Amino acid sequence: MREIVKLSLFLMLVAGVAGAGLSYVNGLTGPLIEKQILQQKIDGFKEVYPQSDRVENESAKYLKDPHDPGLKEVNLAYRGAEPAGVIYAVESKGYSGPITLLAGFDIATAKLTAIKVLSQRETPGLGAKAKEKPFQDRYRGKSAAVPLEVTKSAPSRENQIEAITASTITSKAVTKGVNAAREHFNANFAQGKQ
Amino acid sequence: MSLINEFTKGVVRENPLFRLVLGCCPALAITTSVENGLGMGAAFTGVLVASNIAISAMRSVIPDSVRIPAYIVIIAAFVTMTDQLMHAFTPALYTSLGIFIPLIVVNCIILGRAEAFANKNPIIPSVFDALGMGVGFTLALALVCTFREVLGAGTFLGMPVLPGNTPAILMILPPGGFITLGLLLGLLNKLQKKSV
Repeated sequence: MREIVKLSLFLMLVAGVAGAGLSYVNGLTGPLIEKQILQQKIDGFKEVYPQSDRVENESAKYLKDPHDPGLKEVNLAYRGAEPAGVIYAVESKGYSGPITLLAGFDIATAKLTAIKVLSQRETPGLGAKAKEKPFQDRYRGKSAAVPLEVTKSAPSRENQIEAITASTITSKAVTKGVNAAREHFNANFAQGKQ
Repeated sequence: MSLINEFTKGVVRENPLFRLVLGCCPALAITTSVENGLGMGAAFTGVLVASNIAISAMRSVIPDSVRIPAYIVIIAAFVTMTDQLMHAFTPALYTSLGIFIPLIVVNCIILGRAEAFANKNPIIPSVFDALGMGVGFTLALALVCTFREVLGAGTFLGMPVLPGNTPAILMILPPGGFITLGLLLGLLNKLQKKSV
């Protein structure tokens, strides 16, 4: 009996010391990690919708009705007092994990301005190319009116996106996320619906 | 002299991946690019050195019957710290290694060194043992990564090295990991037999 108490006390002590160490490191790195995630997002906002003075997170207002579960955030990009663009944070299921991306739309022209993949765990050399500029540029300037499609050959229609070679699943996942944002944009921000 | 010996045994004679065939999970899963391999190796070495020091320092106080849970708690604490430090200071590497950082906890090499070396030896030799094993594992990972990245993606550390050739995509997919590791193990065995 005494042995059990001794052993439990010992393990408790080890766990306690480990916990103390962890909470110290957490206190040290926590703010840095948060700052980094925020900075990454602000840089992303600038990339997908450059012409704005400030960006406000208005998810509470626009995401209260039932919506696509992939939509995580609705941010409005203001120029002066009027919202000029909408930036969506979307999560989509890729080949080997969630893909999070930003999709920017221009309200006046009802077009996609740009997309940016924030995080992904796709295969390096294949699906991970979704994070590279050549692929993301394929979305630039697409109209928000029609759903986007993935094609394996060179795109022949306006709404087609050429897939990354040998990474159709990743390309489809990104497109699905963009389409979810596009539908929400059409329902809420397209001309005459504001 | 014996300290150098402790170091080199992990790199060559008892290389954790090629000779002891431990730590195969990360060796198969993250070896798709050299950058990943080096990052994983560095994180692994950091955790191994820290855990070997802690376990060696406490080797006379840890009761024998609960040593394994005690080791696991110590190792898990160091891994979580590494995880957070990497998230804070090397975010790009952190995202690409993803799930495999927390999985260092169950990397059998670390527990193996605690059991086989650190709990029987003083701190200084344990540090050298950990460094040797860490460097050995990192080099082994880097070797597997080099084959897979060059053949599978046509790049080395992200720089194109096979211009004009279509890379063999198979090599960066999971089967490529098994093929590379298997062939390397066979090759090294053959080389060793010759030298004996």
